[in-house]
Order: sequence, then C-alpha cells, then structure tokens
Amino acid sequence: MYSNRKECVAMLLAGGQGTRLGCLTRDMAKPAVPFGGKYRIIDFPLSNCINSGIDTIGVLTQYQPFDLNQYIGNGQPWDLDRLSGGVFVLPPYMRAKSGEWYKGTANAIYQNIAFIDRFSPEYVLVLSGDHIYKMDYADMLKYHKEKNADCTIAVIDVPYEEASRFGIMNTNKDDSVYEFEEKPKTPKSTNASMGIYIFTWAKLRKYLIEDEHDKNSQNDFGKNIIPNMLGDGQKLFAYRFSGYWKDVGTISSLWEANMDILDEDSGINLRDPSWKIYARNSAIPPHNIGKNALVRHSLVTEGCNIDGKVAHSVISSSVKIGKGAVVENSTVMPGAVIGDNAVVKYSIIGQNAKIGSGAVVGGDLDSPKKGEWEITVVGPDAVVEDNGKVEINAMIEGGKKDE
Amino acid sequence: MNNNIMSVIFASDNETKLNELTIHRTTASLPFCGRYRFIDFTLSNLVNSGITTVGILTKNNYSSLMDHIRMGRDWDLNRKNNGIAVFPPYVSNTARSIYKGKIEGLYGIIDYLDNAKEEYIIITNSNIAANIDYDDVYDMHIKNGADITMLTYTAKTNTTRKVVVSSKTRGRVDELLISDTPSDKECEIGANIYLFKKDLLRKLVEDAYTRGSIDFEQNIIQANASTLKIYAYPLTGYVAIIDDIKSYYNESMKLLDTKERDDLFFKNGKIFTKVKDSVPTVYRDKAEVKNSLIADGCDINGKVENSILFRGVIVEEGASIKDSIVMENGKVLKNACLSYVISDKNVTVKEDRQISGYATYPVVIVKNKEV
Repeated sequence: MYSNRKECVAMLLAGGQGTRLGCLTRDMAKPAVPFGGKYRIIDFPLSNCINSGIDTIGVLTQYQPFDLNQYIGNGQPWDLDRLSGGVFVLPPYMRAKSGEWYKGTANAIYQNIAFIDRFSPEYVLVLSGDHIYKMDYADMLKYHKEKNADCTIAVIDVPYEEASRFGIMNTNKDDSVYEFEEKPKTPKSTNASMGIYIFTWAKLRKYLIEDEHDKNSQNDFGKNIIPNMLGDGQKLFAYRFSGYWKDVGTISSLWEANMDILDEDSGINLRDPSWKIYARNSAIPPHNIGKNALVRHSLVTEGCNIDGKVAHSVISSSVKIGKGAVVENSTVMPGAVIGDNAVVKYSIIGQNAKIGSGAVVGGDLDSPKKGEWEITVVGPDAVVEDNGKVEINAMIEGGKKDE
Repeated sequence: MNNNIMSVIFASDNETKLNELTIHRTTASLPFCGRYRFIDFTLSNLVNSGITTVGILTKNNYSSLMDHIRMGRDWDLNRKNNGIAVFPPYVSNTARSIYKGKIEGLYGIIDYLDNAKEEYIIITNSNIAANIDYDDVYDMHIKNGADITMLTYTAKTNTTRKVVVSSKTRGRVDELLISDTPSDKECEIGANIYLFKKDLLRKLVEDAYTRGSIDFEQNIIQANASTLKIYAYPLTGYVAIIDDIKSYYNESMKLLDTKERDDLFFKNGKIFTKVKDSVPTVYRDKAEVKNSLIADGCDINGKVENSILFRGVIVEEGASIKDSIVMENGKVLKNACLSYVISDKNVTVKEDRQISGYATYPVVIVKNKEV
C-alpha cells in the first residue's frame, strides 16, 4: 500500500544571513557559499542525509534564497527527486490570519509543523546549513532509539581552551544531559553541541507550540527548546561524534576548512567512495594546465585554465589564472579570473571576481594564529584594477546586484 | 528550438578501425577528452537544438553504452513525451542475422519512425565530436528547398571509406564519390550526418530494402544524387571524425589548444555527459604538470606533459607521462614512464615500466590490463 509515512524527516536550517561571512553572503544564503572546489556548503548535510537513508528533507530558507533555490532545484544531484519524499524548499508564508518571517530556529520549525505532519514521522532530525562534516545520521537515530530519548544532541570533543566558544552539553556517566550552557566562561566539560538534533516528533511538536506561546522566548533551539526540555526532566542524550567537523561561519574558519581538504591528516576525506559528497554539476570540460604553469599541493576543478603558479590552494571550477600569476594558500571560487603576474596570498576570491594583471591581493601572514587567520577577501563579482593592491585582512565588495 | 525533428543515431560503425579501443564497446561509448563519450557530443547537440526524440541503434557490445546513457537524464532526455529509445541488436530478416547496414537497421525500426510525430529526421553516426547547431542546419535545409542536407567537413581522405562531395553552385552537391584512397589534398567529406523529411527517408529505405541493398551511402545517397536535391552543410571550427587510432590520438591532442576546446565545448551549446561526482583533482608536492588536460578525481604526484588524463587517474611519484592519453582510473605507479601511449580504462602500469610509441603510431594498452 502506498503511504506517505516517513520514519524520520530532516529539517535543514538554511535561512541565516551569515553576517560574519561579510560580502560572501551579501547576495546569497550561507549554505549556498561555494566550498572545496566543486561543492556548496549545503552539499554536506544533503549528502549526509541521502547516504544515511533519509530521503525527506525540508530546507528552511529566508535570506537571499535564489541561489540556494536554483542550486537545490528538484534535488536530482543528491538523488532526492522522489515520488514520495524528496527535498522541499520551505520559505516563510502567509496564513489566513497571520504570517511572518522565521523569528528563530525553533520558530522556523514551528511554522512548518504542518509540513512535517504530512509525513507522520516518529523522529525529526534538525540540521544546520553551515557545517562541514561527514556523519551517519542513521547511527545517531539508532542511538536515539536505544536510549529511548526525547532528544539526542550530537556533540564533539573540543580542546578545553576553545570550549567557551560553543554550546556545551554537561552529561552524566550514561551520556544523559543534565545541563546545557551556551558559550560558558568556565566550561564544565568539552562536549560541544554540533547543532545536530534528533527529536521524537511528538515531544518536539509539543515544545514548539508551548515555546510559541511564550512571548519572552527567542524561539531558539539552544536558548529555549533544549533548556525547557531539560527543565521538565525530558530525556536528553549526547551522541558522541568523533571525526572532522567544522563550523564555517567565519571567514577564518571557511578558509581553514578549505585548507583542511589539502591536509591528509585533517580527517575530512572527500575521496572516500563509500560516503560521497554530491554536488550539482556544470557541464564543462576537464581543466587545462598551461605550458607556464606549476601546480602543487592543491585542488583543481573542471573547466579551469591555469598558466600560473599555484601552491597550497583550492581552485574551483572555471577559474582562469594567467601567466606569471602566483596563488598561494588561498581558495578561489568558481569563475574568478586572476590576471597575468597577479599575486594572491592567504585570500578568498569570490565567484566571478576579477583580479587585474599585476595586482597584489593579501600577503604572507607575519604571525599566523590558528582560528584567527587574517584572510583577505575579494567578494563575488568584485574587481581589483590592474596593478591594484588589496591589503592583508581587507574585504573588497562587488557591485550591488539588487539595488 | 525545433520540435519538428527526430533523430536516429547509429551507435556502432563498421567503418571504423579502432581495434583495441572498441573491443569492449561501441564507437558511441568510446571515451574522449577526459570525461566524455562520443555519443555525448551527438546527444548534446540534438538536445541543445530542441530535438528530444532520439532513437539509438546498437549492434554489439552495447552494455557500456546502456550504462552510460541510462534513462538519458544527464541530457535531460528522461521525458514523458519523446526522450531516448535504445534499440538493442535484433534479428529482422528471414536469414536470422543481425541487421547488416543502416538500411536494414532503419527498416527494422520503421514503426518507431512512423509513430513519432516529427516531420523531419536526422540520421547520424556517433564517431563525431563537434558542436553543431541543428537549428541552423534545418533553416538552411528549408531555405535551399533541399531533399537531403548532408553535413560535411574539410579534411584529407584516409583509408577509411569516405563520401567526397563537390558542388559548383551554392552548396548543391553535384558530384558524390565514395573513396578509400588516402590523399594529401583537402576536400569536402561527408560527416555521415543527414537531414531528411521523414517520409522521404522512409520511402528510400523501403525501396532500397526490397531491392536487397545494404549500403546507405551508395544505394541511397549516391544512387539518388542526380534525382534528388542534395545540399552540403559545411561544418566549421573543430570537427573530429574518429575512424582509426591515429585520428583518435591527433584529434584528442588538438584539444590541448584552448581555442579548439572553446569551439568544441561552448560554441553553440554545452556538452553534457554522465555525472560521476568525482572530487576535484589533487596535485601533490612532486607534481609537475604542463600543457595538459586533467579531469576531476585525479591524484597527481608525478610529471605530466602534453597529455590528457581522464577521471580518477593516479600518477605516483617519479612517474612520467608524456604525449599520452590515460583513460579513467588508470594507475601509473612509481617511476613508470609513458610516452605516446593510449591506455584504456582501468589500466595499471607498474613500477619502473617504460612504454613508448611514436607520434604516428601511439601504443594502445587494452582495458583492464596490467603492465
């Protein structure tokens, strides 16, 4: 018998503006930002879902959604074009009596209760659209069931000195959570929340409705829903994840995550055939390495024409790098053009940006500090004049499209 | 955009002398330029001109073709209406043998032709890589009031059977020779692509079939050269017709030139192929790559010069690849050297091996072999 019922529905929070990424997210939502040569950030949670056997995904969008909508399309690149289930883009919408923007992460799910109910799921997986990691959600769901939990939160062990930057889950011996602290000054543990939650849907539904009626609530999972559930004595468990995981919400961390792909010991292995990361593919020929080029310790994607020197960099599709140009320790996004003899170091070059001949962008860092890299950014569609100079740590914006 | 034309593609071609490269596959599924198969060019050109009713006639070894095309999704041909129809080899005659030439092949699918609503039909072989605007071919066909428009290109003849045309007035073909003698003189050669009104093709095929004719070029095109209005449509820019190892090698190497590549891949529309979700190519610390085309998914730590690497090729430290073509998932291990080599899919060249051919005679290493 045909049934629309799904055991677990994933809800992907993709509406955030990502202000900390500056001009990279001026015209596009954070999950649509290019990453790792041929991917977008959202490819990671989407591929994780399909690889985990979850085929029904709601993507909650709000901020600059066009790129993301077009990119997701009918979900075909992730095998999500299904008769039953598939991927759904869910913007906020008007109702008979009301209608408003998504006020917070919890409110975004609250506004889509009717969507989730259509699939009568037992569980709902809540994901963020700004993390780079490979994770088997099926294993986490199994854990959730074994523990008979109401909510399971994925946690990762972080160095103690960094723990105060995260939401920290303090747990009992059996990994049940007794306390949640958002960015604590003196952390009691190093279990950082990864922003990945599995809820038993009936429970979450109840808490979302209660939270909506609470006028003082910020309608946020971390600030409201989790503390409320803890306060009521619901069963919350931490699911320990070990492996590569990175929040790419800042320029520094986005750059660092790109560099991590170049480092075999970093733990993010995109070449593993058993856990592929899928991406929408553009029809372009193989890349061309010219007669004057020297490319080392780098990733290069299809459609590029490279005639300069590239070292320790991630080069996305259809990038042109001219003769005599030098690109080091940088990530160059799709379609960017780097002119002859230009020098680009410790930089992020946005989509379709143009760096003029002989221009200098960024430079070697004097005293680089992990996590706080002084990365130079040339935004999407921005132009650096011939022989121009962009100082280290500066950010150049492109012309406005929508004004 | 044109929704009044259908197409039939011949996936196997008797005329080609590709030997080792087509033992395991049809010409249509012969890999080309790092990530493509020959049929990608034909399918993409058709789709880019809005032609979405496409029949593919296969003859032998067609499993690699089926695996490549699947439901035609990568070309947007998985449609409710029209789309791809693959015809496996079938026995159509009383002699109980597989169809011999294009005439028998077309006769066998006459119901398919009749059921299609399109008025015009393009018949094409699949050993061609070019970026063709069929809208323009159709416009010229109508403007010329042609019965048959045959696409041509300029080249020298080789030992493969070719149709050489000459025309004195505005593309009207008045002389049509079938030649298999090599010559140093450039001439207009038929690309084995024809545009007909479907009814006319049907009639010509039926007539030829009942007379027991087999040869499409001789018994249909040449035989009617004086009674029908045949026009040539000369293809310009990059046109590769592959009929032997030498032409495969030379036409591949031409694509190291960015101008030729832009012409083939972007002139009228994009070329689509099966998506494999490979990762970007990684260059390691000992990599030294010059003047080469590299597809996604490679892992390079050696020397590569004037060469084409397909998806997923591994080049270990100290290895050197010069003037060669290494197909999908090839492995060139430590200190191995290749020059003027075409290595087919999944070939492993072990440590310290040295293999060289010559510019006029590249060595072919057969699929799945270990050297």
